[in-house]
Amino acid sequence: MPPAKLNAQAMARRAAAAIAPGDVVAIDDGLPTLVPDATSASLGAWFLGNSGMLNDIPLSQADAAAVIRGGYVNLAVVSAAQVDTTGSFAGQHPPGNAVDLAAGAHRVIALLPRSDDVGASNIVPALSSTPDGYRCVDTIITDAAVIDVADADLTLAELAPGWTADDVRAITAADLSISPTLREMDFTPSNGAPPSKIYPDGPSALADLPDGATVFIDGFGGPGGMAHYLLISLRDRGSRGLTIVSNTAGIARVVSFGTPPGRTAIDHSVLIENGQVAKAIASFPVSPSVSRPSEFELAYRRGEVDLELVPQGTLAERLRAGGAGIHAFYTHTGAGTLIAEGKETRNINGRNYVLEYGLLADFAIIRAHKADTNGNLVYRGTSRNFNAVMAPSARVTIAEVDEIVAPGQLDPEEIVTPGPFVQRIVQRPQGFTGYE
Amino acid sequence: MTFTKLYDTAAAAVADVHNGATVLIGGVSRTGEPTALLAALHSHGAAGLTIVCDFSGWDGSDSIVKLAADGRIARIISPNPYPSASGDNLREVWNSAGVAIESVPQGTLAERLRAAGAGIGGVFVPVGLGTRFADGRETRTINGVECILESPLRADFALVRAASADTLGNLAYQGAQRGWNAVMATAARITITQADTVGEPGAIGPELVITPGIYVNRVVHIPPTGEQG
Repeated sequence: MPPAKLNAQAMARRAAAAIAPGDVVAIDDGLPTLVPDATSASLGAWFLGNSGMLNDIPLSQADAAAVIRGGYVNLAVVSAAQVDTTGSFAGQHPPGNAVDLAAGAHRVIALLPRSDDVGASNIVPALSSTPDGYRCVDTIITDAAVIDVADADLTLAELAPGWTADDVRAITAADLSISPTLREMDFTPSNGAPPSKIYPDGPSALADLPDGATVFIDGFGGPGGMAHYLLISLRDRGSRGLTIVSNTAGIARVVSFGTPPGRTAIDHSVLIENGQVAKAIASFPVSPSVSRPSEFELAYRRGEVDLELVPQGTLAERLRAGGAGIHAFYTHTGAGTLIAEGKETRNINGRNYVLEYGLLADFAIIRAHKADTNGNLVYRGTSRNFNAVMAPSARVTIAEVDEIVAPGQLDPEEIVTPGPFVQRIVQRPQGFTGYE
Repeated sequence: MTFTKLYDTAAAAVADVHNGATVLIGGVSRTGEPTALLAALHSHGAAGLTIVCDFSGWDGSDSIVKLAADGRIARIISPNPYPSASGDNLREVWNSAGVAIESVPQGTLAERLRAAGAGIGGVFVPVGLGTRFADGRETRTINGVECILESPLRADFALVRAASADTLGNLAYQGAQRGWNAVMATAARITITQADTVGEPGAIGPELVITPGIYVNRVVHIPPTGEQG
């Protein structure tokens, strides 16, 4: 009499035990859809379903795909029909999201269907169809065992209660090594909570911003949508040799729309006059007024800073591409102009296109209206501008917000930037304005 | 006369869908699917269609399956043409109706639709390497990562479903309705929306508009009949 096999809920519980606090977990159709209910809410995990829902936040399929390709998925739980010894797998209802998850997720767990439903081993020396995921599975969970995949070798790591290694080998077509730490499956849910994203002030949020960093700075032309408090905090921190990526290189001060008499608007100029900037990548780097040059223009004329000029729409698209795992793209913008000099051009369906590359940064300092403590952001009016495309494309995104609210206080339909894109949140001090 | 994109009936809104058209269908099964537009498309009779959709299950008279069974569909491009629950039945439907099936990775399909709507000529993405989706494809190593060149997928028509619309075609969705509808709305020459509610311009708060009206050509008001929206 063979030992009892795990039911679907137990398999889901074992998968859920692999989730770390704050993980983004992509959930394939089928058995993996049981995993969220098997996970403790205190873990603060984010579940991305095939429908594009990120917890209760609806994403377009293009945005959901960007989350996956952009490297934001810590763990994917896929429905596999077969897995081979190299960790390639065939999906149960291919291709679905399996191909994207295989390519984009940091770690892949393959949940196999219950063997009674299949009638044959689905852990095999070679797949009987072409793979949906190529050499990507890290862990296989079946109704009898947990098997680790490494270096084209399968290692039996855990057994369902009552099972022996020989029982598992008897129903497995592929060869299995036995882990020296072979043990009974542990269904203990992960514990803990993700670290808080709330920082007490600007200096603490920027304390690890190194010299030579690439920094996205939001804003358009005037003072709106710019993280003024974080800009001042970055000036005070004094990091040098920065590459700043921004729509302008600081023109709010010289344009001075709406600036109260006797004061100056805070913009990138505070960094430039402090000697912190080595290069700007921008679409509108100079003052609109010849008689009132910006700090960046003056520094450029002195030969102190470099400039890469990018058309505004191309800048936005390059920023989106970086965070969305698109390494390069063809755009018609700039074809036949100076912008295309030195770049690859290509005729596609009778039209000339320029090859442009995705942009990534070490830090982004952005400005939002409200955040919840999970890092979900809403903007207000035009201050959304570059914030929303910058947030996913930096390793550390810091949001300066007017108000921080509890989870559930923001309407999920209104959330523009989901929390996984935001690592740190700083409340703009009461009374702080965009002017010095 | 006030400018409006509102059409009186679903039939009028799909009247010019031609034989051989490429048509995007939003939603996943019954969630966010433009059922009334699908039924009107069926009555309209256009054939030889290429349909781009996600999960193409269900078998009501207002479904993709019905269109296929009645010989209207030449080709389906989908990431999920054989969904687990009804996969074997559907395989039979597609075969007996002579429908060519083109399976595509879900995220890549979404990106190709987005590229079409955004005027992007092609994207290099590291998805599908080592699988059949890389066969015969142009690849390039960028920043040390091997990528596949994917091309935009543009359609003649998109049939989408929204929770609310205004007469200028601004749209808001509810929950998972957003998934395919929001990206497909941008990728067709003519985008036709089935909206549960329709208001005057301004009825949807500007921060809540997901699809701006510039992407939408026609709106039909179809009050929901209780089926899952």
